[in-house]
Amino acid sequence: MCVRCEISRRSLLIGGGAAAASLTTGVAEARVRPQDMVSLIGPGYRPTDTDEKGLWQLMDRAEEEIAGSNLLIKDPGLVSYLQDIIGRVGGPAAKDMRIYLAHVPDFNAMMFPSGFAVVFTGLLLRMRNEAQFAGVIAHEGAHFLRRHMIRSWRDMKRKSDLFAIGALAAGIGGAGAGVYLGDYVQLAQLATILSLFKDSREMEAEADAMGAKLIAEAGYPPMEMSTVWQQLIGELNASARYRRKRRERGSLFDTHPSPEARMADLKLDAQEMTVPGRIYDDRRARYLKMIGPIRPMLLEDQVKLNDPGGSQYLLNTLALDGWNGLLRYYEGEVWRLRNRAGDDARAAQSYAVAVAYPDAPPEAWRWHGLSLMKEGRSVEGKSALSRYLQLKPTAPDAPFIRQMIG
Amino acid sequence: MRRLGIALALALSVTASACVQTRQYADVQFTPPRGDYRLLVMRPDVTVNSLTTGGMSQPRADWTEQARTNLINALRTEQAGRGGKVLVLARRNELPGVSADEIAELERLHYAVGQSIALHKYSGAALPTKRGKGLEYTLGESAVSLGRRTGYDYALFLYAEDNIASTGRTALQVLGVAGCFIGFCAPSGGSNQFAYASLVDLRTGEVVWFNVLQTGSQLPGVKFGDIRTPQGANQMVERLLERMKPGREVRQAQAAQGKEIR
Repeated sequence: MCVRCEISRRSLLIGGGAAAASLTTGVAEARVRPQDMVSLIGPGYRPTDTDEKGLWQLMDRAEEEIAGSNLLIKDPGLVSYLQDIIGRVGGPAAKDMRIYLAHVPDFNAMMFPSGFAVVFTGLLLRMRNEAQFAGVIAHEGAHFLRRHMIRSWRDMKRKSDLFAIGALAAGIGGAGAGVYLGDYVQLAQLATILSLFKDSREMEAEADAMGAKLIAEAGYPPMEMSTVWQQLIGELNASARYRRKRRERGSLFDTHPSPEARMADLKLDAQEMTVPGRIYDDRRARYLKMIGPIRPMLLEDQVKLNDPGGSQYLLNTLALDGWNGLLRYYEGEVWRLRNRAGDDARAAQSYAVAVAYPDAPPEAWRWHGLSLMKEGRSVEGKSALSRYLQLKPTAPDAPFIRQMIG
Repeated sequence: MRRLGIALALALSVTASACVQTRQYADVQFTPPRGDYRLLVMRPDVTVNSLTTGGMSQPRADWTEQARTNLINALRTEQAGRGGKVLVLARRNELPGVSADEIAELERLHYAVGQSIALHKYSGAALPTKRGKGLEYTLGESAVSLGRRTGYDYALFLYAEDNIASTGRTALQVLGVAGCFIGFCAPSGGSNQFAYASLVDLRTGEVVWFNVLQTGSQLPGVKFGDIRTPQGANQMVERLLERMKPGREVRQAQAAQGKEIR
């Protein structure tokens, strides 16, 4: 019956390429509207289905391990502050969700299927006010409220089942008819995988929309969520530019929509969610007061990542709310650690400016003093160093500095 | 005819791949505990999954609980046969004078050491410096200190996983093997088990004995003792722990003694 019963690889590739291209360009992913996002669970939710019960049991074990991890920051004041925020923007599950703060200097937060979230310290550093932080928490909480994890698990299960059956049917059918269908099977596998990533991106879009709704209802300015993405895009670009690379572009295998798309959608969400006449408060002062005790540590972690482009952008972003001694000191540290030609002079300048602020850390006086000594201004240098010793008499290098002052 | 021949050959090789495997390593000086010893069984890490048609492992809370209870009972019976006194930890804070954090630390340390044993003894990445030395790993001072304070001689770490093929998966297996007869063989994995046991001497801190059990088949319907049932759990504990061999030097000494007597 067939004249040439083989499937042309070329036609297959062209077909596959066209199908793949239509996924990215042809069909734009529609924006999810915040008002459509209602919680799918109520307070005190417990799983009733077998698969979800199994997942929760696994997660309980994971939570036990995470809760006992020595990476966690357990400062009670800070933890109860974070718990308080999840309580404000957690919708119906506000009282059920738990939050853990892990000492990892990256921008990230994640939600687990049983309702606990892990937040990295790098996120705390990057947020300029409580509204921004609440936005990220609300996004994570929305994953739980919309039951995203069990939904994606079921989706994956259904699709892998269908694929296994389809592949076997194609194999047996093909063998019976004497045709090799392996290429189609591979294409189907790619399509299955791509559809899983696409679903993941749709859920992220849902979480963004619902997050905007939740923080607006809690009285935070919803536009701050969009600003978070604007800041992240800026940081990624600055970091890449310094390394003379381009920031990674989106692909079909992304689990999240691109930062640009999220920023744009969140801006529209915020406009929709803003009620004219209502007063929104970003609670910046309270946020800075609460993270104040660990902020030096957060900045210290960041400048040691050896990412001068990103660190510098970050400091400038945080300084949009006003420079202070701490930020200026770490600006100096970025230059000093980068150590290119002229960086020592730049660093010296930052230290000099830092010590003019009342909140300059003792180390700013140390490096200010050492920079002055290096320039040959030893009298001023020694006076700065003695200020350092005065502020931090138990510094590990105190005997050494004392000897230098003579 | 030729096609049938291939199908038969494949079917045979499929049968051959259905198996139960254990492989144990011991410290060269190891003698299996007998008589009056005290054994602390760390919280057994048990998971029972349902294997979906597409091959994903879906955790089942009820099956897992059932299997854990069965395995603990089987373990108690097995150890009573050897004469030991056993405490099975159900929670981390059960031992008087030992904090839950300390137990957690020891569990994590053992996890790391166990990974290393798995890599260098089982996965083929053998270390030249460890050749012919039996099992040479230790949990160090933290294990010794636990033993000193609690009076236990040994600690046993146990991990067990059972993946039970769902009806859909079994059907897929049947079709995959049936396909062999028309020239399309697609055998896929069905129910399988993975378990390991690790014995730590709390007087020296050393891991003195380690055993890994693996079962699995590509033939549909083959089961190797379902740990959701007491019989299956007994079988797993027996496969893992019953045939505990002494270390090489102890075996050689025993052999030499045997010759002398003769």
